[in-house]
Amino acid sequence: MNTLALVFAIWAAGSLQPARDPLAAVRQMVADAREEIEAFEKSNPSAGSQHPAVKWDNALWAIHEREPRTDAGARAAVEAVRLLTQAEMWPRADARVESLTLDDPAWEGLPWVLYEAGIKRKELPAVITTLSRVAEAAPKPTTKAAALMIIGRAYRRQGDLAAATRSLEASRSAAPASSYAEESKGIIYEIEHLSPGQPAPAISSTARNGRAFSLADMRGKPAVLVFWGTT
Amino acid sequence: MEEVPLLKRLSEKYAGQVQIVGISTDESVERVDRVVKEKGMTWSILSDGRGFDGPIPTAYHVQGTPDLFVLDGDSRIVRRFTSATEIEATVEPLLARRR
Repeated sequence: MNTLALVFAIWAAGSLQPARDPLAAVRQMVADAREEIEAFEKSNPSAGSQHPAVKWDNALWAIHEREPRTDAGARAAVEAVRLLTQAEMWPRADARVESLTLDDPAWEGLPWVLYEAGIKRKELPAVITTLSRVAEAAPKPTTKAAALMIIGRAYRRQGDLAAATRSLEASRSAAPASSYAEESKGIIYEIEHLSPGQPAPAISSTARNGRAFSLADMRGKPAVLVFWGTT
Repeated sequence: MEEVPLLKRLSEKYAGQVQIVGISTDESVERVDRVVKEKGMTWSILSDGRGFDGPIPTAYHVQGTPDLFVLDGDSRIVRRFTSATEIEATVEPLLARRR
């Protein structure tokens, strides 16, 4: 075998080999889907052409059904719904969500997706209703915590800070060591200290030009604090 | 960083009326100084090189940038948002109240 043929054989073996890690395979599908959807949306598609989200939803959902109750299967379901909601294919997205039983592990990743979709469609109350059912029925504490954290965010966004705080506290106690509990704690802090009307946390520092800087010195004038990064 | 030209325009428009303070979440103070100079950022800049773990981002629960807070003349929080494009609409009524 000459060198060229050998190189080709290695390349072919590599590219034909199925991905061994199913979660990595799902991630790759999502990356491919995003690329295709972006190109599709840029191309000024004609009215009759099918949105590629449909094709990718079918492919991802097939993984969800083939590998139920695995990380890859759960991730595939979450990403399928995300693609559908980003494409604003609401009936199809709703049907997918409704087909999931409340004990499906996909529910841990879905709250965020439903929250963003709820904001987009201005239907946060419906999201709260759905997630309340999940929080009630989910067997996994982290799933409960994720659902309750998002319910808290939704209530806060609607201006019901008392209901938000209750839900966030419930999220913290559902799975105290989880990232959701940590996030809930942060939102409770924001509600208590950073809501409109509250005194801004004190700042006392030295500006880069060497001058002393204190928030208290700025009283009498509105101020804009811009948190920024050079990258 | 893409909002620097807008902030520059607003700092000129509201000179003497609204204090703009840039609080950097960088981990290199030298880098901040360099960028501030390069971009001609003339408003107050705070930076302690501690990234998001510094006392100010912690007190304001800042986890990503841009993140902006508008304060009224009594240093109370009026609004929080993630783009400088919303500054004018929030600041104008505050100034109108004072006129």
